[in-house]
Amino acid sequence: MTEARTFKIKSTLARQLHEPGGRHVRDLERQATAQLETHRDDAMATVGETLTTLEALCAQAPDGAGPQVYALASSIVDTAGYFDTGPLFEAAYSLCEISDRMIEAEAWRWPSIQVHAQALRLILTGGCRTGRTSDALLAGLRSITQSR
Amino acid sequence: MARPPTPDRVNLARSNVLLVDHNQKSLDMLSSIFHGFGVKQQIKCGSAPEAVSIMETRDVDLVLIDCSMPEMDGYDFTRWLRRETPPPMRYTPVILLTGHASQSKVHKGRDCGASFVVTKPLTPTVLLQRILWLGADERSFVECETYVGPDRRVRNFGPPMGMKGRRSGDLSEHVGAATEANMDQSDIDMLMKPMKVSL
Repeated sequence: MTEARTFKIKSTLARQLHEPGGRHVRDLERQATAQLETHRDDAMATVGETLTTLEALCAQAPDGAGPQVYALASSIVDTAGYFDTGPLFEAAYSLCEISDRMIEAEAWRWPSIQVHAQALRLILTGGCRTGRTSDALLAGLRSITQSR
Repeated sequence: MARPPTPDRVNLARSNVLLVDHNQKSLDMLSSIFHGFGVKQQIKCGSAPEAVSIMETRDVDLVLIDCSMPEMDGYDFTRWLRRETPPPMRYTPVILLTGHASQSKVHKGRDCGASFVVTKPLTPTVLLQRILWLGADERSFVECETYVGPDRRVRNFGPPMGMKGRRSGDLSEHVGAATEANMDQSDIDMLMKPMKVSL
């Protein structure tokens, strides 16, 4: 077995960051946040479409759809994760978690998925606001995920 | 001498950044964030195999890649970059972006050799902070049979010096400025001189 070799690297990125003519970090953050914000409506519409696909899948409840459910939940997490979507992100993450575990355990239960889809729809319709309703929904989802 | 704190100003205008995500919407949002950071040279692609051919033909200073993608995922891409490419390309900083990491991928994430893994929810502030960390990265690069990438033993090092989030007990590889006068040569010799000890 060969020995481990450790050494220092100075990347081109590290050099470029400190070149003259740079801009204030706060300005860059502000500008990037503003640029990102222009995508919000479009992104939330995409989340809504993905959720509709998930609901249709839940209605059919076909065998062997675990990976498809996980992919849809993961897609919601990926898109919603660029914004502060609070309870929506948390519910979608919970769906990823439970579907991943059920796939690994080869013990699929549609009711757990359907409850998540309903909670996601309620949260999205409520404008992703944090409040008593969303807290109660998330507490319910957590109890499902923990009981698995 | 201790490393100076990160300056308020940073320059990403000349950096070539490769953005890889199979989700077009995510790719567009990521691209907008980097426009905001002042990156003029962005290479966007929708798959890791495409990213492989780009890496082979163009100079890239930073890679941001989504973890879960069909065909080749972000972990496999990073592993390829670290093990299959020649220096200096193999040292290119890689930031992996992940939403939910499935159980089967946790070890891949640990072992692939990424510079950082950034989990969602993602904000431009966090992303820029990680890029600044890369600029002040103190970690050694490790090459061995089972792992190629930045040293993963960072728990006691914390964020680079001068960055927010460092704890009082975090170590540093910087020796720092001398606080006492140099030792006399005879004192140094005494430290190494074998002496008879009477018991």
